Amino acid sequence: MEITPKVTVAGLTFDLTIILATLLASVVVYGLVYFATRKVSMVPRGLQAGMEMVVDLIRGITEMTYDRKRAEKFVAFSITLFLFVLVANQIGVILMIASEVHSPIPALGITADKFHDGAAHVAWLKSPTADIGFAFTMAIAIALFANYMGIKTSFSNWIKPFRNPLHIVEELAKPTTHAMRLWANIFAGEILITILLTKFNPLVTALPVGVWIGFSLFVGMIQAYIFTVLANVYIGQKISGH
Amino acid sequence: MEKMELLAAAIMIGLAAFGAAIGNSNLFSKYIEGVARQPETRSTLFGQTMILFGLIEALPIIGVAMGILLLFNVIG
Repeated sequence: MEITPKVTVAGLTFDLTIILATLLASVVVYGLVYFATRKVSMVPRGLQAGMEMVVDLIRGITEMTYDRKRAEKFVAFSITLFLFVLVANQIGVILMIASEVHSPIPALGITADKFHDGAAHVAWLKSPTADIGFAFTMAIAIALFANYMGIKTSFSNWIKPFRNPLHIVEELAKPTTHAMRLWANIFAGEILITILLTKFNPLVTALPVGVWIGFSLFVGMIQAYIFTVLANVYIGQKISGH
Repeated sequence: MEKMELLAAAIMIGLAAFGAAIGNSNLFSKYIEGVARQPETRSTLFGQTMILFGLIEALPIIGVAMGILLLFNVIG
């Protein structure tokens, strides 16, 4: 399995690959939305038509989960989440950059004990969502936001289900499955591409790799959509009361 | 000891695929049944089927990812 360059500052370990990929995904999302909303025409074409499809898709989710008054407030949040996860998922499939390193680079955390047969596989660019820490950060942030919204809307409604202690387990299971769902799909997709390309003869595995890349693109889209739907459902459960 | 861990990873991935196969077969047989009964609902049913497919597919793939992690910890 490939390793990533890491820098430790004041006891905290920063994964440079994930930071770079996150920045890249943010810039791509910003660029997409910026260029899609310049020169808006009545009859949408090209990028504008695509963006309008995304907005319609997200509006479908929010109208499904909230009442009419609140639905519009969560559209911007959901579009940001959806586009970011979508782009982040596809980076590892389309733009994965990995190389073999033959001499240790201690400054980047690539030490000799990580070498196998005189080389280490280092991923310089991969999906940030294929990192379990990243997926958990997003899921926990959404869980905290959902609970904050619940307390803000009505404290008595929020505290009521906790009379049954088993509710705490449910509250912990939600962000866990939310994160694992995203992480495992993207991680398994990337790792299988890497295994097929590096451990076998590329001439034999060319066709399976092509099929699997197509499936990974599809899974990335579906998982981005499901991540957004679940985030909205979790927030909606807290707001509307039980 | 190493062989037991390889076996554990294999069982993990195999059982995950087994469960997903049952779930997906149920889902898609109902989808085809629904389309056969009411062909005009094909487009709406297809979208919902794909979302549920993603939800079902997530749990076995968590097992697969865990199995892959276990395999790589053993064989490096």
